[in-house]
Amino acid sequence: MAVIRTEKICKVYNPDTIPVHALKDVSIQVEKGEFTSLVGPSGSGKTTLLNMLGALDMPSSGKSFIGDVEVTKLSDKERINFRLHNIGFVFQHYNLIPVFTARENVSFIMMLQGVAQKELLERADELLESVGLGDRKDARPHELSGGQQQRVAVARALASKPRFILADEPTANLDTKAAMNLLDIMEKMNEEQKVTFVFSTHDQRVIKRARRVVTLVDGAVHSDKTTTPDNTVKE
Amino acid sequence: MKTLFKLAWRSLWRNKRRTLITISALIFAVVASVFMQSINRGSHEMIVDNMTRFQTGYLQIQDYRFENEPSLDNSFYYDGDLERELLEQDDRITFVLPRIETFMLAADEQTTRGGFVFGVDLEKEHQFNGLKDRLVNGRFFDDRERGVVLSQGFSDRLGLSVSDTIALIGQGRFGMSASGLYEIVGIMDHPLPDMNSRTIYMPLETARELLSAEDKVTSLLIGMDSDRHTDAVAANIGHFLEGSELRVFTWPELIPELLELLEFDLVGAYLMSYILYIVIAFGFFGTILTMTLERIKEFGILISVGMARLKLAFTLFLEVFIIGLLGVIAGVVFAWLLLYYFYLYPIELTGELAETVIDMGWAPVLPMSFAPDQFYTQAVIVFFIAILIAVYPMYRVIRLDVISASRS
Ligand SMILES: Nc1ncnc2c1ncn2[C@@H]1O[C@H](COP(=O)(O)OP(=O)(O)OP(=O)(O)O)[C@@H](O)[C@H]1O
Ligand SMILES: [Mg+2]
Repeated sequence: MAVIRTEKICKVYNPDTIPVHALKDVSIQVEKGEFTSLVGPSGSGKTTLLNMLGALDMPSSGKSFIGDVEVTKLSDKERINFRLHNIGFVFQHYNLIPVFTARENVSFIMMLQGVAQKELLERADELLESVGLGDRKDARPHELSGGQQQRVAVARALASKPRFILADEPTANLDTKAAMNLLDIMEKMNEEQKVTFVFSTHDQRVIKRARRVVTLVDGAVHSDKTTTPDNTVKE
Repeated sequence: MKTLFKLAWRSLWRNKRRTLITISALIFAVVASVFMQSINRGSHEMIVDNMTRFQTGYLQIQDYRFENEPSLDNSFYYDGDLERELLEQDDRITFVLPRIETFMLAADEQTTRGGFVFGVDLEKEHQFNGLKDRLVNGRFFDDRERGVVLSQGFSDRLGLSVSDTIALIGQGRFGMSASGLYEIVGIMDHPLPDMNSRTIYMPLETARELLSAEDKVTSLLIGMDSDRHTDAVAANIGHFLEGSELRVFTWPELIPELLELLEFDLVGAYLMSYILYIVIAFGFFGTILTMTLERIKEFGILISVGMARLKLAFTLFLEVFIIGLLGVIAGVVFAWLLLYYFYLYPIELTGELAETVIDMGWAPVLPMSFAPDQFYTQAVIVFFIAILIAVYPMYRVIRLDVISASRS
């Protein structure tokens, strides 16, 4: 079964004034273990679609499923709890809680989930080590570089053991080295732990490393290409 | 819970200076309102204190008819048995003070003036209110002497002084006419301006004789170890007096007009306090408002990753609660220190004001109240305002639109 499935999702902003059709009948499926990139020109609807996939926003019409749960039927409160237990998020910026250390940021999600103190600390340390920040556990976000902050964000997204991770332009504020480093980590997690990633990006270097590239134009899916391990492209 | 507290605590100190300024404002509010209260209540306590000591006592027993018809006909029998019985009712009662009070005309050769005659047990009266210390001229009378002590204002009005003779004319029990000549043996200074112009003290026995009221009194003042026990002691005595013609009155029942007047006098002070509270409330709200607005994006992230709105709202409540608590506790400590300082080193009064206060039988310092309840009432009010303001950030995160928050 697909991890995520949308059925003819439409999103209209400001329907009563100057309507903006941000998404038009978008139907896509994401399978477990995918490493998928959403691309498209600015304003094409990438962020809007990610918000739908992440149950952050409700479509104007259409349905969206995560596993066998129809998230478009859930209440606001149910969606918050659903996100907590099922989805990991990495945002472009303002990702972390500024007053918490890296370790506290990662364990916070687990605390909200009700994970026991001991387990939560061990797991937070493990995750930070896996993103290469074993020696910066007690640093606050403002003491970390942009790349390091995004790596903490990835560790935090993973902490809740989500079904998949959504990332909206995670490398947008990073230089090449930091961007590639973040991609390496995401890729490694995808390969070794079969973590499903869906991320939006403008960045050609990042697009190249995605195995599936979904292109949006004007709120509609323009193309959907998957590169199989033998490097043939499937549309 | 621990983590939420940690989140609140650290968020609070993210902008140290602002938080400290906010706390200082709360401290100021508490200190200023306690101080204003203390001064206002101080002068009121002084008035009530004099009123109860020289006029009504904190508790008083009267015949139930005396209040409406203060004549000697409504006096009652008093002896050592009654005194003993009363003392037995409650161990907080320290003494029973008998008095005869009545209105009489006082005259010399030319003038006649109305005055209040107090027949008193001098020694007991002195123990209660330091009467003997109020003497300004002459001496106080002996137990059964036909001598009187006039209040200064009264003697001035009559133009009489020590060793002059005064004629008293009035009505005794059962319509018997009461009149007699008495020697003025002393002049005293009455602390209540109103009473200073018309008071005549004489020995209890002399008054009884003059008024044909042997073994009678018109009122009994009940002394207690502390005026805080007024109501409890009144209840016990009331119980004891049940079925008799005697009633016990507490001081607020005896001087309701005065208390009303004092209440009215407080309106200005309350108004000042309210203005202060409103100013502080707006200042505090301003801080909380910026604190909320600059973090909208962060709140959006927290809800996005799965933090329940109520949990977040609770964390914000904690922040405001902590600021409020710190401000109010520190405020109470500072207010206490300030009042303690003024207790040790009172503000000296000069000029006319000083004379008024001395006249009232107090030291010439600004009268201040040190009643403990004024600390916590002010603290509770300020704290309540702070908590009320916490509603705003809570409301914001409950209604927060995650999408627009992360776009802001
Ligand atoms: N809250 C909103 N209200 C009104 N219009 C919106 C809102 N959010 C997005 N839009 C509009 O919807 C369209 C899609 O926006 P979206 O942010 O999804 O694009 P995007 O592909 O993420 O662009 P970018 O690459 O610049 O991030 C745009 O035309 C945008 O102006
Ligand atoms: Mg976008």
